[in-house]
Amino acid sequence: MNLMSLDTAVRRLAPHALPLAIVLIVLVFAIAQPAFLKPENLVGIVRQMVLVGIMAVGMTFVIMTGGVDLSVGPVLALSGLVAFFCLDAGMPVAVAIVAGASIGLAIGLVNGAIIAFLQLPPIIVTLAMLSMVRGTALILGGPDLHAIRGQDAYTFIGTGRILGIPFPIYLFLLAALIMIFVQKLTPLGLRVAAIGENERAAYLSGHRTRLTKMALYGISGLGAAIAGMIQSSQVHTAAATYGEFGIELDVIAAVVLGGTSLTGGNGSVVRTLVGILFLGVMNNGMNILNVPLDMQLIAKGFIIVLSLALSELK
Amino acid sequence: MRTLPAMSGTGLTKVYDTLTALADANFIVMPGEVRALIGSNGAGKSTLIKILTGAVTPTSGVVEVDGAPVPLGNPQEIIRRGVACIYQHSNLAPAMTVLDNIFLGRQPVRRFGLLDRTRQRREAEALLALHGIDIDLDAMVSTLPAVKQKEVEILKALALDARVLLMDEPTGWLAASDVARLHQTIRGLKSRGVGIVYISHMLDEIFNVCDTVTIMRDGRIVAEHEVAGITRARLVELMVGEKLARDSAEAAHVKRRPRGSGEVRLSATNLTRKGVFRDLSFDLHAGEILCVTGLIGSKRTELMHAMFGSDRFDRGTLRIGGKPVAYRHPAEAMADGIGLVPEDRHREGLMLGLSVTDNLVMATLDRFRRWLLLDSRRIAAVSRQSIGDLNIQPPVGTRHVRLLSGGNQQKVMLGKWLNFAPRVIILDEPTVGVDVGAKAEIYGILRAERDKGAAVLVVSSDLEEVMTIADRIAVMVSGRMVAIHDADKITRADVVGLIGGAAA
Repeated sequence: MNLMSLDTAVRRLAPHALPLAIVLIVLVFAIAQPAFLKPENLVGIVRQMVLVGIMAVGMTFVIMTGGVDLSVGPVLALSGLVAFFCLDAGMPVAVAIVAGASIGLAIGLVNGAIIAFLQLPPIIVTLAMLSMVRGTALILGGPDLHAIRGQDAYTFIGTGRILGIPFPIYLFLLAALIMIFVQKLTPLGLRVAAIGENERAAYLSGHRTRLTKMALYGISGLGAAIAGMIQSSQVHTAAATYGEFGIELDVIAAVVLGGTSLTGGNGSVVRTLVGILFLGVMNNGMNILNVPLDMQLIAKGFIIVLSLALSELK
Repeated sequence: MRTLPAMSGTGLTKVYDTLTALADANFIVMPGEVRALIGSNGAGKSTLIKILTGAVTPTSGVVEVDGAPVPLGNPQEIIRRGVACIYQHSNLAPAMTVLDNIFLGRQPVRRFGLLDRTRQRREAEALLALHGIDIDLDAMVSTLPAVKQKEVEILKALALDARVLLMDEPTGWLAASDVARLHQTIRGLKSRGVGIVYISHMLDEIFNVCDTVTIMRDGRIVAEHEVAGITRARLVELMVGEKLARDSAEAAHVKRRPRGSGEVRLSATNLTRKGVFRDLSFDLHAGEILCVTGLIGSKRTELMHAMFGSDRFDRGTLRIGGKPVAYRHPAEAMADGIGLVPEDRHREGLMLGLSVTDNLVMATLDRFRRWLLLDSRRIAAVSRQSIGDLNIQPPVGTRHVRLLSGGNQQKVMLGKWLNFAPRVIILDEPTVGVDVGAKAEIYGILRAERDKGAAVLVVSSDLEEVMTIADRIAVMVSGRMVAIHDADKITRADVVGLIGGAAA
């Protein structure tokens, strides 16, 4: 009898496993190291997650339709470089930003077009794109770090503060709000859910499913481009090697941890935010406790599998 | 000495929630017997087969192989007892050789887990010789023609020492000459005492290769017969139901409206899709229900998708309201006011994980857009309206469609298209897997659409349904339209005859 009720309790709590886990981890870290709860540190947690976070909310729709975008890392690097070269050529900041964003959007749309219209597997297409974009970034930027100097407006993107809170956090929250808004309140949100649930039925309901999918990869590329410009602004440099291998896995992990299934359907931007928060708290807490990097990586992998296994308990 | 049945099922019953999929079925196949199993969609054939293969556990009943009861719902054990099943769709590994496929999953091994290739080949060759099948063991399966692939599947079953072979529409993908070849193989198996259950919608094949026939309808076995002593017309009649006679008499009192208002909404001339359907010509009028009937496999669904833009036709003309069209996407057909309610609500019709409300507006999203936003208040209002009009139970818009009964799911799918307010509405088997009450409701909805002036095109294999709702009846046989008649000028027996190919 007792066992039965324990079982039901676990099942009932399973959907909320991640928020609960976050609370638990926060408690543990807070007790072990009270500095964890200082406002500066909490802001820091979010700031550290801005790059992965913007890419993850951008990729959520792609994953909801059963796809994936592995090309975000190099797109991040290339967009930063494109913005740098525009600034370097004396163009206004706005033009540089639009150029950087456009290149990400364009790469995403190409990904989407190939996946939707030629019906090739997303994992292969975006893997190939990862390679090609990295190559392009290296041709453009070479092996050097390109310093961004005397561009206060551009630098503000990554390092500015409003009301004491870093500007990138506003950008991240804005991106998340826009995506939540799109998902909950626009036809596109329902079209995405429809493709994830039953692409054939969506098609037979007259949805232009292939155009929709193409647009979703465009959004993912755009997210990576914005992240790329924030990063180059934060560190005052652009380089072809930014967005190093592995960052796309963090992005995917955040989305999947949030509970969006890799096979499509059943997901939301809000849940992705929870996934990002979880990763952020984990990283920060382990840093504060001086857990060595090697152990951090192992712990992270372990916890990702554990929480996924928990979420499968339905 | 009386021989034991190769396989038998006694009192098999399967109940899903409120739906009885199979009621007290008794089924026997003797060694060396080829028994046909026929019935319309939803008659319970697949439930019966799934129970016999162990894929489904019956609510009650006993299954015996060679007189010994087998544990139910245990596919491995049933295979071990010598019952094999060959499905319409191939279950082979295409990139492996014939030999590897035959022994897939249970290769003979030597010490250290190494494959015993010599023994594999020896056993396979013995099998080929025994059954007189000629096939290259080293050929890659994907390079073989369809009929050879079927033979590989049969070999795979025989290698298991199968004494009962269940064949679920084995000729679905085969050309006519290949069908003859497959039947030759079946006769060979029969002479070696293998009991065969042969499911097919092709009456020709049944008369060609089967000894006995079991007919199912509405989850029951309604008749068993020697094939030698039954006519084609009687077979079709048993399949579609004798209640038909009474119902069609009743339906005769309902006012039929052939050609409705007289306005031609959709006109097909010599529509052809190579290898699928050929030279189809017909008109569909505003304010009428035209039923296209025929056996499964007569390519009616393919015709509907070709007209709707979710498939193509190669030749011929389709006119909508007089304008020639060839849609390349359903959205284009919808722009001209055409809707299609597909046959398979789970695969093609509904988003099961989304709410009733979301599903109800899925075909009309753009109409609910105000600037960039969805007008959720109007969506909720339309959803409430549809739920009320269609009597969807439970009347809760936020409920996931997955949780509804089949009949209510069907009403949601129908409601999605009624909200679209089509001028031409195509419905493919609109009452498959739906209980009697919901059927009557759906018929009422279709008549109401017709009376509002829509042109209604219904594909149905259920003759009771056709005789009940049709204003005109078209019959398709093997991709050709063999007849089109006013419903009040044709009898049930005539339709049965046409379907069976008597007049063709």
